[in-house]
Amino acid sequence: MITLNTDNNRETVLDLANLSAEQTALEVKNLDLYYGSKQALFDVSMKVPKGQVTAFIGPSGCGKSTLLRCINRMNDLVDICRIDGEIQLHGQNIYDKSVDVAALRRNVGMVFQRPNPFPKSIYENVVYGLRLQGIKDRRVLDEAVERSLRGAALWDEVKDRLHENAFGLSGGQQQRLVIARAIAIEPEVLLLDEPTSALDPISTLTIEELINDLKSRYTVVIVTHNMQQAARVSDQTAFMYMGNLIEYADTNTLFTTPSEKQTEDYITGRYG
Amino acid sequence: MNKWFKSGAPWIWMTAGAVSMSLVAVIGLLLLIASRGLVYFWPSPVYELTVEQFGERGTIIGERYDRELVPTERLTAQGIDIPEEQGDFVERFLFKTGNREFVPLDFRWILETDIVESVQPKNIVVVERLTNGNFYGYVEALVRDGETIPLAADPEHDKLYELLARSRGLYDQSERLLKRDIGGVNYQLERLRLRERKWEMNDNLTDVRVAELEERREQLHADYLVLEEELFDLRRQAGRDQLIIRDMRGESVTIGFDKVVDVFFPNEMHLGQKIAHWFHQLSKFIVDDPREANTEGGVFPAIFGTVFMVMLMAVIVTPLGVVAAIYLHEYAGNNAATRMIRIAVINLAGVPSIVYGVFGLGFFVYMLGGSIDALFYPESLPSPTFGSPGVLWSALTLAILTLPVVIVSTEEGLSRIPSAVRQGSLALGATKFETLWRIVIPMASPAIMTGLILAVARAAGEVAPLMLVGVVKLAPTLPLDGNFPYFHLERKFMHLGFHIYDVGFQSPNVEAARPLVYATAFLLVTVIIGLNLAAISIRNRLREKFKTLDQ
Repeated sequence: MITLNTDNNRETVLDLANLSAEQTALEVKNLDLYYGSKQALFDVSMKVPKGQVTAFIGPSGCGKSTLLRCINRMNDLVDICRIDGEIQLHGQNIYDKSVDVAALRRNVGMVFQRPNPFPKSIYENVVYGLRLQGIKDRRVLDEAVERSLRGAALWDEVKDRLHENAFGLSGGQQQRLVIARAIAIEPEVLLLDEPTSALDPISTLTIEELINDLKSRYTVVIVTHNMQQAARVSDQTAFMYMGNLIEYADTNTLFTTPSEKQTEDYITGRYG
Repeated sequence: MNKWFKSGAPWIWMTAGAVSMSLVAVIGLLLLIASRGLVYFWPSPVYELTVEQFGERGTIIGERYDRELVPTERLTAQGIDIPEEQGDFVERFLFKTGNREFVPLDFRWILETDIVESVQPKNIVVVERLTNGNFYGYVEALVRDGETIPLAADPEHDKLYELLARSRGLYDQSERLLKRDIGGVNYQLERLRLRERKWEMNDNLTDVRVAELEERREQLHADYLVLEEELFDLRRQAGRDQLIIRDMRGESVTIGFDKVVDVFFPNEMHLGQKIAHWFHQLSKFIVDDPREANTEGGVFPAIFGTVFMVMLMAVIVTPLGVVAAIYLHEYAGNNAATRMIRIAVINLAGVPSIVYGVFGLGFFVYMLGGSIDALFYPESLPSPTFGSPGVLWSALTLAILTLPVVIVSTEEGLSRIPSAVRQGSLALGATKFETLWRIVIPMASPAIMTGLILAVARAAGEVAPLMLVGVVKLAPTLPLDGNFPYFHLERKFMHLGFHIYDVGFQSPNVEAARPLVYATAFLLVTVIIGLNLAAISIRNRLREKFKTLDQ
């Protein structure tokens, strides 16, 4: 059985089905996704609340990463991928033809499963997104580096070696560097795709603490196959199975009194 | 036995054997050309022989160049008397006797049995001359400005070397004057002529312009006269002193110091001097211009031409190949057409190089060069500017020849970049182009360098196509000089590979050229290895810079 941190200082439980426009960071509407002829997501609809941590859980291959990658259109990179339905950010469908994908991705940052720093210095990794936007002012960049690295709880460890190669960092440090790189461009939404699956327990703990800090400024969506982690860090949890969104509720409810049989089977370890 | 086979031991032995065979082949090749080529610069002893042939006695002075065993039978069949006790074989020596203008042959085979006496007198001198090759003999006297200094007054040859240094200095000055200053004036005059012709063709050759040209021309002509006077003066001064030498016929020959490149006494040298002499000769071989139909002197223009052409080729092929590979790998759809193109590119590497030469001649030289001439250089027609073989066309032809190598290795490099890094960049709001430019291409740069290394290795050794598109036996000027615009890409150039062919097979003096063939071959290999090492060191630095975690 799963132990939950019950010292919940969470605000009042949100009514996820009827979030107001101000409370919503993004909304998924009737999303179907196909890889070639194989359908990977079936009619997914959900609203992700602003300034909170939302977790997607489910067994391998259930489509949780696929759904996450839809939010910043990383699935565009897959040639055979086709999407029906909408994802709305600020009331606009991000799959609209008029949407600039690069601008969308500046707004919706992403951190991947394995740390993927660029073969550059720590400093250059952090300012990469800013340089893309054409910012050259040294002072602005320096400030952004300090702010982002502090935001990712990495500043104290690397402040004396900002100009050394990022590959000299440990795995956990690299993952925090990647988070710093993502928040350097001040996105609204931060997508984390199993951010701790390649890390040791200590680094995992640091990242989890960091996620808690991040939600004050960003809307965080995290994919994890570690249920304890979902329980620890998230405010809302969505359980997915075979491409369907089975249940979506606040974390406490979902883990203590799931309304669906499949959810209960999964969290009690009967499969997955 | 069966167990031994199963253990894989024979397989290991076989693979190791293949490696050692390759090693032996490569090292043997290098050793052969190195030893044959580098011995040429060693001051070998000079013999004075007393020879009796057909009842006549004579003296021969020369270096022993080669030796071989000849069957006695064959010699007797030719009507040569061989004493009974000689056995089945007689040794025969090839002597280089020099003094080309006085004896019919400067190389002579002499049978061991004909040699009555062989000595190595200390005071034999070897004079390396600008023309007619080496001269062997005994120094009798020096003439300094008309005043004769007998040999006895100069036992250590100090005066001789002093006079030699003086004349060499003057010679260098006059060469510099001729090539740089007088060459520059001629170049300017030619440009004036072309400008005039251009104005004339465009019908805007006004009187003012004619006067201007005339004035400029007179100015240049005046400059020329001054320079010419200076040149003649230098030459006169260089020819002030002479060397009197007694040759093997016993006659005294006077050689002006202005014709002398070097004087040395090989039989007098001790080991240290010989080593110093060896380095001196080697450096002359590298930095001097060729003389005497390339059979003497150095190969500097050929080294320069080879390196210059290869670098120009690298500058052309790298961007072209990299861009093509990026399109194929990143943008082109993964369909039958792309696969066809890829196969075609790979097969392009298998086309014989002479075919590229023919293509280069037809397309680059005649079509492209001809059009460029018609459009931009009509004033110098009918004599072609770009419409004749030149270093640019050679570089372009070799660039096409080596393009497949660069494309293939760049593509390989691109496919090895982890997709996580690309996605990381895209997720930060980079476009595909920005990701390529800032992340992917820098990370693929070691692979690009690998392609370039292979391309350089192939291009530097390629001779056949160059014979059609730009290489010549003797180029009067380098493709790079002090005259604006400094790079003269339309000029023909010399190449070490072609030099080997030319010296080895087109030379009027085969025996004299043979060691040069080895020396030049060794130099070519050295140049290619040098170019490759430079590229490899750059690649290793890039690898270090862009190494990722999993490597």
